[in-house]
Amino acid sequence: MKKLLVCVAIALIITGTLFAGGAQEAGKKTYNIGAAVYGLQAEYMRLWTTALERHPDVQSGLVKITVFDGKYDASVQQAQFETMATQGYDGALFVPIDIEAGAAAVATAKRAGIPVVGSNTRVNSDDLLSYVGSDDRLSGYMEAKSVIEQIGGKGNVVIIEGPIGQSAQIERKEGNMKALAEHPDVKVLEMRTANWSRAEALSLMENWLNSHPGQIDGVIGQNDEMALGAIQAIEQARLNVKDFGIAGIDGVTDAMLAVKENKMVSILQDATAQAQGGLDILLAKIIGPSFVPKADVWKHIDFNGGKEAIYNVPWVPITLENVDALLAERQELTQR
Amino acid sequence: MIKSAKKKRKEVQSQNLSASLMAKFSDYGIFIIFLLLVIILSIAKPNFLRPQNIMNVLRQTSINGLLSIGMTFVILTGGIDLSVGSILAFGGVVAASFASDAMGKGIHPPMVAAGIGLLAGILLGAVSGVLIAKWKVPAFVVTLGMLSIARGLTFIYTDGMPIPRIDKAFLFFGQGEVLGIPFPVIIFGVTYLLSWVVLYKTRYGRYIYAVGGNEKSAKVSGVNTRLIIFTVYVISGLLSALGGIILTARTTAGLPQAGQAYELDAIAAVVIGGTSLSGGQGALSGTIIGALLIGVINNGLDLLSVSSYFQQVIKGAIIIGAVLLDSLRKKE
Repeated sequence: MKKLLVCVAIALIITGTLFAGGAQEAGKKTYNIGAAVYGLQAEYMRLWTTALERHPDVQSGLVKITVFDGKYDASVQQAQFETMATQGYDGALFVPIDIEAGAAAVATAKRAGIPVVGSNTRVNSDDLLSYVGSDDRLSGYMEAKSVIEQIGGKGNVVIIEGPIGQSAQIERKEGNMKALAEHPDVKVLEMRTANWSRAEALSLMENWLNSHPGQIDGVIGQNDEMALGAIQAIEQARLNVKDFGIAGIDGVTDAMLAVKENKMVSILQDATAQAQGGLDILLAKIIGPSFVPKADVWKHIDFNGGKEAIYNVPWVPITLENVDALLAERQELTQR
Repeated sequence: MIKSAKKKRKEVQSQNLSASLMAKFSDYGIFIIFLLLVIILSIAKPNFLRPQNIMNVLRQTSINGLLSIGMTFVILTGGIDLSVGSILAFGGVVAASFASDAMGKGIHPPMVAAGIGLLAGILLGAVSGVLIAKWKVPAFVVTLGMLSIARGLTFIYTDGMPIPRIDKAFLFFGQGEVLGIPFPVIIFGVTYLLSWVVLYKTRYGRYIYAVGGNEKSAKVSGVNTRLIIFTVYVISGLLSALGGIILTARTTAGLPQAGQAYELDAIAAVVIGGTSLSGGQGALSGTIIGALLIGVINNGLDLLSVSSYFQQVIKGAIIIGAVLLDSLRKKE
């Protein structure tokens, strides 16, 4: 039985390599692109990969996308790049879990001659072909500014942070602090992580409402999920959510619904622009000047042949005016 | 032959009696530690004793409390259930999908949606139960596998995205109140009472202790050990799904990534409560104190504004310390 299994396994490996080799020889009609994302458990990464698969060149069959789930582990992502190298992928899109550890994965790809475009989260590497993402410092600044405005420029705020040490937490915090430094009348009562989690933020806010009764004026959630948890705690304590200034980042569906009810402010991170824009840059490098980029984002920022080192995708504040249109767009993207 | 079996059963029963007496005695150790912590916290932070905060602690404890009760049943038989957090997520999203228009399954009455969620939990628990009871695969391995399977099923079912727009009526499970007491706390309390009756007032409960104490002798004395072992995983699955339903109603969304690492807090509550990991010894009341202790630690450290880094260290140290003190006291 064991021998049989071993034989079958070997046969499978051999046919696998033959098949892979065959596909490559048949003329470069289909480009194999690997999309290594930090984790498919996050709603944002689901939106990102769905948007990528809806890119016109993927739909037409010019590009074949393989999504690698990094499972929030830098060493898993490293192994996935090694797989892409041995399987001879034509290019890779990379959303690293860790800004420093990601560099080794990019180096692995470079040694195998695979161009890598970063998207959404940063990686500290000079070998990256280009990076298309949004500036987390700016969003942190924007959301803090909005909370300060909502509470009238003075009062007490609490900050609910992402997992300590993740680049989004570090950079959004920098942005939060920059805005707060401009307003010395706003005091930070508490600052604590809830690990991007709605349930954790709910408990945290319940406890804060108790330890600072009647003192909290604003909540800066470093993502939407945690801001939503805070809203839940406020409602549970029978307080009026509209008495609080609350903001989050990302533009997840529930946050859009909350914006519609005037409970919070959110800033949309454009997953479609980051994913499809990244693929355009990669294809421009692989195919050459004849390639025409297809993503909508190039209507707003200059493509420049895909030669820029950094493409900054603008944040979109979600307002009562644009929320219905954004929700409709989201509905289309998340059709189950 | 019949006589000797009867005699053995009696022996098992009397053994259980002394074991449960001992366990009762050891409860007080944890209870004293728990009281000490409460006193220290109320001096350091008078807000701690506000009725609203006490309700907060109870509400925050209720989910882990439910998981811990199920875990107590399992651990009393000498098993372990590592899949509670994943089954919680699965039960939660299944119930959510029948209480929201987001998945095209229609909005059903809360009891129907919750019932389907509970069935999902029972089903997964039953799969583990069969593998462990009938096929004798170690519980650690089966539930470790189930941890991964149930989480994967949750992501497949939801396509990795939260289920929004939960029906208002359904939210009562997490946010409702009866006579000023949060509904999750009532669910937790009722579950505790029912479980206490099952464990201490029925033959089934005595058999659970017997199986955990010595499976072979229980079998010889005529206990259907397979059935007992099978059912504790079903109970654990059911209570995990119940926790998931409360979590969904509390956060107003079916969250596929909910409940990660919850098994650790549930096991910690059981162990703090004095239940032996090798089975057969321990008491449900200890588990409840254990769960409350963890809830109070989390709440207290938030109230005292202890930094996140220290919070983790302190929590771990208190867990080990509580059990250490208890075992030192027992030695004396």
